[in-house]
Amino acid sequence: MAEFSLYATPALGGYSTTHDGIALEELDGLGLISIATPLDSDAALAAALKKGFGAEIPAVGKVASSSDSKIRFLGMAPGQLFAAFEHDGPNAEGAIADKLAGAGYTTDQSDVWVGLRIAGPEVRTVLERICPLDLAPNAFAQDKVARTAMEHMAAIVFREGEDGFVLLTARSSAKSFLHALEVSIANAL
Amino acid sequence: MSTQDNRLSGGLIDRERPLRFRFNGEELQGFQGDTVASALVANGVKLVGRSFKYHRPRGILTAGSEEPNALLTIGEGAYAEPNTRATVAELYDGLSAKSQNHRGPLGFDVMAVNDFLSPFLSAGFYYKTFMWPRAFWEKLYEPIIRKSAGLGALSGEPDPSSYDKGFLHCDLLVIGAGPAGLAAARSAARAGAKVILADEDFRFGGRLNAETYEIDGRPGAVWAEDTAKALAEMENVRLMPRTTVYGAYDHGVYGALERTGDHLPDTDGKPRQVLWRIYTKRALLCAGATERPIAFGDNDRPGVMLASAVRSYANRFAATPGKRIAVFTNNDDGWRTASDLAARGVEVAAVIDPRDGSPRAEIPGASVFMGDAVAGTKGRKAIREITLASGRSLAVDCLAVSGGWNPNLQLTCHQRGKPAWNAEIAAFVPADPLPVGMSVAGAARGALSLQAALTEGQAKAEAALSDLGFKVSGEPVPASSDESFAVTPLWHVKESKRRAWVDLQNDVTVKDVKLAHQEGFLSVEHLKRYTTLGMATDQGKTANVLGLAIMAEQRGISIPEAGTTIFRPPYTPVPIGALAGRARGKDFRPYRLTPSHDWAEEQGAVFVEAGAWMRAQYFPREGETHWRQSVDREVSTTRNSVGVCDVTTLGKVDIQGRDAAEFLNRVYINGFAKLAVGKTRYGMMLREDGIAMDDGTTARLGETHYVMTTTTANAGPVFRHLEFCRQCLWPDLDVHLISTTDGWAQFAVAGPNARKLLQKVVDAEFDISNEGFPFMACGEITVCGGTPARLFRISFSGELAYEIAVPARYGDALIRVLMQAGEEFGVTPYGTEALGVMRIEKGHAAGAELCGTTTAQDLGMGRMVSKKKDCIGNTLSERPELNREDGLRLVGFRPVDKSHALKAGWHFVSKGSPTDMAHDEGWMTSVAFSPSLGHSIGLGFIKSGDTRMGEIVRAVSPATDSDIEVEIVPSHFVDPEGERLRG
Repeated sequence: MAEFSLYATPALGGYSTTHDGIALEELDGLGLISIATPLDSDAALAAALKKGFGAEIPAVGKVASSSDSKIRFLGMAPGQLFAAFEHDGPNAEGAIADKLAGAGYTTDQSDVWVGLRIAGPEVRTVLERICPLDLAPNAFAQDKVARTAMEHMAAIVFREGEDGFVLLTARSSAKSFLHALEVSIANAL
Repeated sequence: MSTQDNRLSGGLIDRERPLRFRFNGEELQGFQGDTVASALVANGVKLVGRSFKYHRPRGILTAGSEEPNALLTIGEGAYAEPNTRATVAELYDGLSAKSQNHRGPLGFDVMAVNDFLSPFLSAGFYYKTFMWPRAFWEKLYEPIIRKSAGLGALSGEPDPSSYDKGFLHCDLLVIGAGPAGLAAARSAARAGAKVILADEDFRFGGRLNAETYEIDGRPGAVWAEDTAKALAEMENVRLMPRTTVYGAYDHGVYGALERTGDHLPDTDGKPRQVLWRIYTKRALLCAGATERPIAFGDNDRPGVMLASAVRSYANRFAATPGKRIAVFTNNDDGWRTASDLAARGVEVAAVIDPRDGSPRAEIPGASVFMGDAVAGTKGRKAIREITLASGRSLAVDCLAVSGGWNPNLQLTCHQRGKPAWNAEIAAFVPADPLPVGMSVAGAARGALSLQAALTEGQAKAEAALSDLGFKVSGEPVPASSDESFAVTPLWHVKESKRRAWVDLQNDVTVKDVKLAHQEGFLSVEHLKRYTTLGMATDQGKTANVLGLAIMAEQRGISIPEAGTTIFRPPYTPVPIGALAGRARGKDFRPYRLTPSHDWAEEQGAVFVEAGAWMRAQYFPREGETHWRQSVDREVSTTRNSVGVCDVTTLGKVDIQGRDAAEFLNRVYINGFAKLAVGKTRYGMMLREDGIAMDDGTTARLGETHYVMTTTTANAGPVFRHLEFCRQCLWPDLDVHLISTTDGWAQFAVAGPNARKLLQKVVDAEFDISNEGFPFMACGEITVCGGTPARLFRISFSGELAYEIAVPARYGDALIRVLMQAGEEFGVTPYGTEALGVMRIEKGHAAGAELCGTTTAQDLGMGRMVSKKKDCIGNTLSERPELNREDGLRLVGFRPVDKSHALKAGWHFVSKGSPTDMAHDEGWMTSVAFSPSLGHSIGLGFIKSGDTRMGEIVRAVSPATDSDIEVEIVPSHFVDPEGERLRG
């Protein structure tokens, strides 16, 4: 038995509130793994993704799901996917890497990013104060993912439900990002 | 309490909602739906301000955003907003307004003496008058001129209002909600397009609210209200009243200012204004037209008003600007003022039309003077009488003037478009090329009649939508009248004997324009700069065309030949506060916090900004009164036992791929091809030009897996550089990059007891003894009973040292564990100051040495540049100038008199040489007090430094009169053999 043990601290202290009909919460237990396609090996990765997860490689800007709908594959850049899924503990990478069996280079991004879920009927009115993207349902479909910057901070955006979004932002500046969202809610609603 | 003597019946005001307000302390009343200007008109207030230069009494000229005169300070204390146009300021209960630019009361401004000095104060006077003596300009003349001229004053306090910004997207942006804009928005909305309709007014309808036209059998204002209501119910439409689209930018992006709170007594903590960036697929400019005045003698007297403004006040606001009004118009539209006033029971004294022919309308009770003109006015603070060119005089208390209409084409010119002259309406109209995606409809395009506005608005919207692939309905255009706007240009009345004003905001007269001509300022751009015509808050909306027409006359050329000045954003003033938005104070930019930030705060750490990062600078303990005490203690404790520092901020790049080793070989100057798994190596990279870019370590975690660290400051630029190399230079390499900077909480554990401390934390199956885990080893391990971690045996301090990293979520826990485990060794946390002291003691280069001008050679690492392989910067690093024998070298310095404190920035000069640039030999880059040596030490670059050990030179700073002797020494002040870090 080790003398010491380590506990995990959520970047935003497990933030979860509802203001003016907008629910805003920090995602607990987010596993986030980047997958890079080895040079000239797209087919091998596609086969491994199909075999391991029943998923197609999403185009850049699109989201694909595993056959059990538990893993979202986000098309981030040419030759780069993110796998996003619920995962407790620090070893999320294995869940993806083991099934890819070397068909893709994986890097654990779970602690690089903080996930925030924001939802409510007026969610787009709130986000239009900081998000330069057009989030209208017809412009930002359910299967879309995008990288952007809000208040000078990098962000990844994808949808969850009709009036909900998941925003991924860098862990070190997550408090500033949360502040930006709180101010937007207060200002817009 | 005033009686609103000039109130008429009807109008678009809500008489159920009376509002109190104060003007220069006097309590007045108006109604909901009034502007400050219309409420002042209703109360019979004529004098509202003093002019910019001559302090002449001025009244309200217009009823819109083009107002040059009626600029008031609205609000109290820190909320006071100077230069607010009374004509667009919406009245609210309790509003307080003050006039500007007078000393003493508005009615008796002592600065009005300037008006008597006007022969000396004409255009360009200060360029000529205040030339000598030269020194007097800055100290005497300019302050006096500045004090006497001007607009309102800022409160001098921080702005307590809040502001925000945002982003909107639409298929069609309709700018202006007059008849053209409403018809366009209606048509586009029905086609299903995403439409934004923005108007600077708080009430949609534009001129429809001020006129008596009918559309489809309904009064125009009612049609506008009904149309706006129908639009408000459609989900694909966003109505934005109180919103000025102020700029047209690239790719169909528009800037807009929405005044969300200016009309409210209290914004309840919400932003006062929101600055929007609107991304459009198409935009339709329906901004209408602005009436222009005619210049004649004393035409700036309060009570002289644009004819359309008189109609606006009478029809929309039920407030008459006078009780006996004359109309002076050179066009048919101006006659509507006379007929509308007469219909409302206001006495029309006369209509004066310089054109020949028969009267254009029958005005009951009015004398009509065709072929005549107004040549002068009388009255002190308000008009009392007008004099015609024919010599007649008439007693009036208001003169309505119309010189024709200028289309509001400003936005069409924001991308260097030049307008074209349309002789039929004697005005400039938009001309190709328009900003991409923009079209123009209605009066803004020069189609001045109502029917033309409706027809064009709909047609242009339909064209834009068809272009975007929408199916348009092709429904009938609303029907209205097609009234006449026939005009014969008249710019100024030559019979006038007294000064005739062209630009009321800047006090520019016809004479000033003539003077500019006489002195050779012929181009309109020179005219503008010489006379200030068209500058300041109104940007010459009522003055520009008049001024350049008069210049054209002087030069004997046509108006289009004279041309126009360029319009630039913003269309109307945008407060700096709105441009800043919420980026104020601490919210100016985001902060990045380290995983141990909360813990460090608990320790009372003093923080320092390192880029966006907040890093602990030092950790004061009880009894320490000076930062040096804390830093000295942190250094000594680390060197004698063990210290811990959060180094998470260093950039981390995860590098994977079959060709990762080759990639590293090409970006670093030294070889990485043979780095074994489980080993770390220091590397330096150059820019393409051979100058040092960044340094750090790269660890090989697996066959195809590396982790690079960069300096904190260069984490972003290095990543960008690597991506450029990967994607553009060597797309044939199998190499992949992703940043993991934020993902790992990383701590340096340094000092002779570092290993003992870590052995309590690292799980027992991992051997971290000197043999099992030697200097420069790295590995993936577990700590505290199975938590994944990475361990690197690297040292920046020069001590036996490790860097240990855990997933960031465990960072807070790990720093507390390290402190607890280190308690028996007296562990100390150390901040960036101690980090800096120890690296200087050890001679390591950092930001001050990697300053963008130095080479590997200068840094003493010339031999690291591998000649066996190619790398970025290799070739250009071989330039002779970068390889001079007497080139700069990084060496150490210590003061000959040890009591002296060295300073970074000092320059080196040989003993006996003069202190000048010709004898400059280098400079001090970094200094510190070394607790290990007990005196100040420094690093610096000096010519041939490596061959001059022991030489005494002077370190000088002519700026601070410092000049001391320093000795050149090796840069490794502590443990030069590196025994400690290998121990």
